[in-house]
Amino acid sequence: MTGISRRTLLQAASGAAAMNVTRSFAQAKETVTFAAATFAEAGRGDKLKAWIEKFNASQDKVEVQPVAIPFSQLANTVFTQMGGGGGPDLVRFDQTDFFAALPAKRILPIDDIVDASKYTFQAPDKFLNVEGKRYGVVFELANYQLIYNPALLKGGEPPKTFPEFLAAAKEATGKGQFGYAFRATMPERSGFWQDLTNYVYGFGGNWADGKQLTLNSPKVVEAITAYKQVYDAGVIPKGADAATYRRMFWEGKIAMNIDNGGVAGIFAAQNPNLKFAAAPSPFPNRQQGLILTALSVNANTKNKKACGVFINWMLQQAAQSELQGILGAASVATPVERPKADLERSPWLGVYDAQTPYALPQLVLGFETKTLEIQQIVVEQVLKILVGNADVQKTLDEAQSLSLKRIERQ
Amino acid sequence: MRSPASHAVRMALIMVLLSAALFPIYWMVVTSLTSSANLFADRPQMLPDPSQAFNYAETFAKTSVLLWLRNSAIVAVGTMVLSILLAILPAYALSRFKFRGKGLLGFVLFATQMLPEAMLVVPLYAIFAKLLLLDTLGGLILANAAFTVPVITWILKGAIDGVPIEIEEAARIDGCSRIDIVLGIVLPVVAPTLAAASVIAFFHGWNEYVFAQTLVLSQELRTASVGLASFVGELSTPIHTVMAIGVMYTLPAVAFYLMVQRYVVAGMTAGSVKG
Repeated sequence: MTGISRRTLLQAASGAAAMNVTRSFAQAKETVTFAAATFAEAGRGDKLKAWIEKFNASQDKVEVQPVAIPFSQLANTVFTQMGGGGGPDLVRFDQTDFFAALPAKRILPIDDIVDASKYTFQAPDKFLNVEGKRYGVVFELANYQLIYNPALLKGGEPPKTFPEFLAAAKEATGKGQFGYAFRATMPERSGFWQDLTNYVYGFGGNWADGKQLTLNSPKVVEAITAYKQVYDAGVIPKGADAATYRRMFWEGKIAMNIDNGGVAGIFAAQNPNLKFAAAPSPFPNRQQGLILTALSVNANTKNKKACGVFINWMLQQAAQSELQGILGAASVATPVERPKADLERSPWLGVYDAQTPYALPQLVLGFETKTLEIQQIVVEQVLKILVGNADVQKTLDEAQSLSLKRIERQ
Repeated sequence: MRSPASHAVRMALIMVLLSAALFPIYWMVVTSLTSSANLFADRPQMLPDPSQAFNYAETFAKTSVLLWLRNSAIVAVGTMVLSILLAILPAYALSRFKFRGKGLLGFVLFATQMLPEAMLVVPLYAIFAKLLLLDTLGGLILANAAFTVPVITWILKGAIDGVPIEIEEAARIDGCSRIDIVLGIVLPVVAPTLAAASVIAFFHGWNEYVFAQTLVLSQELRTASVGLASFVGELSTPIHTVMAIGVMYTLPAVAFYLMVQRYVVAGMTAGSVKG
């Protein structure tokens, strides 16, 4: 009879014991949860998760678990969780949400886990340093430019001025195609604000001068009047949300779109055959908005050191380079030179990069922590102009007055 | 006698209402089976294109939709069972017993329905964190049941009110205990109402989003409502995937409703011809 020998039994037992050790070692990894809307993004989400997997593979003590939360729900969900004493350890915050989390003390200073002197950060990094403390690192910086489909524009050339732009948009509209697209609905409040801000900056205005709100200044009035002109021109697919009209763009149904570099990257990934190009936005002023997203540490975290391990890994040259490649025409926390081959293959990358000196965050400067509340007021008032045909000057006067009252009340 | 013309008008009206109810579901199926090129065509494609069935295969292969549906089923069935179990005795007590504060208790049960989920989610999150119920399907079932139990209690109370007290008295004379009467006599009589209440609890658990999004963090414990919403991206939304998952998300709920439909209709019409 061939019974099990003592040696076999011992080998099996030691094998099992070894497996148990391995398992408990694996279980001993500290898990850091990382919430971001980008993990759900078609064309970028899977690549970002794979990028995080590289971190996980390189570590034996820390593991990052990506948590995808829809963009429109991220702030509500994370702030609710934070209010209840929990939430993800790391959060990729939009700039307005970052400045809402800050005064509420929902994010931690990270100077003790990130030695800033080791890194050369991009200029907008300064916005994440508040009262001498660093509350996050840049995850993504994306400029805004005019993206156009030459096949849908007469002569294939982009408009250079606002009247040219409006005329080109009208000309390209018809037969199931639209000349242009932007946001103008309350459910997309955040994106609506971004689109409005591009017009305001483009017409030489600003929401504030650093000390005073300037919501009803002549330049802002001019910008909102232009926004209304486009809205009324019948050149946009009214009611279509950004996800829909961006898809329409890469399906060749929309001629022009003022959008950020991340979107351009998505167009290229979703339809490699689409021959689109980028040019400076057709406004009198070169300044445009800047998408600034920050990676911040939740004040409720019990894994701050582990968060630091990930942030420091992310700031390494190799990880930054790969991240920039995934994000499309966007920049990351530290300057990363684009490969020449990428610039030759996608000339629009260079156009976006050239916009950097003219890029401004879409915040109310000097009132950064109030941006979310002022945004709500402005967007509501602008909707009255767009949909209700309210007088631009009077409505922006009302926005200014309501915002001042809100600030004074606090 | 009804004239043929009025019959035709009634039928036409029913068809219009039916079409209005079914069209969104039909459109979801058509969109999930439409090629990208035709998605924004001048003339919308009105019929599904079977050659696009690979959208479903890709959705199965590239997403965790089956896991999400399983989690949703656990939450929905759990909410249904727990809600019914917790509602039966209070419903019986409210119907049959006279006690001080009965009116107030009934009002408090109603009052819970006046509070929106969004208002309760922060305190609930803090309580669940203390009780280690966060990130568990059990916690989600409990949170959902907190909303469905009051409704079901009132529905069952109404049904129990309609059960003649003489039946219970006869059972008591035969030596039945109170709990035997509730489980063995009252519940079988109100079974159709119980089925209707089960449907309400099941659909609440199946469709619920706010708690599922906030109280659960792990990807492997996501319900289908949260999984579906996670495709709505910051920059783009994969419409085919969303629609394909939408169809898969709808089918089990429809199947469940068809299974219990007979009882639900009976429950809704119970007592309507009394007297």
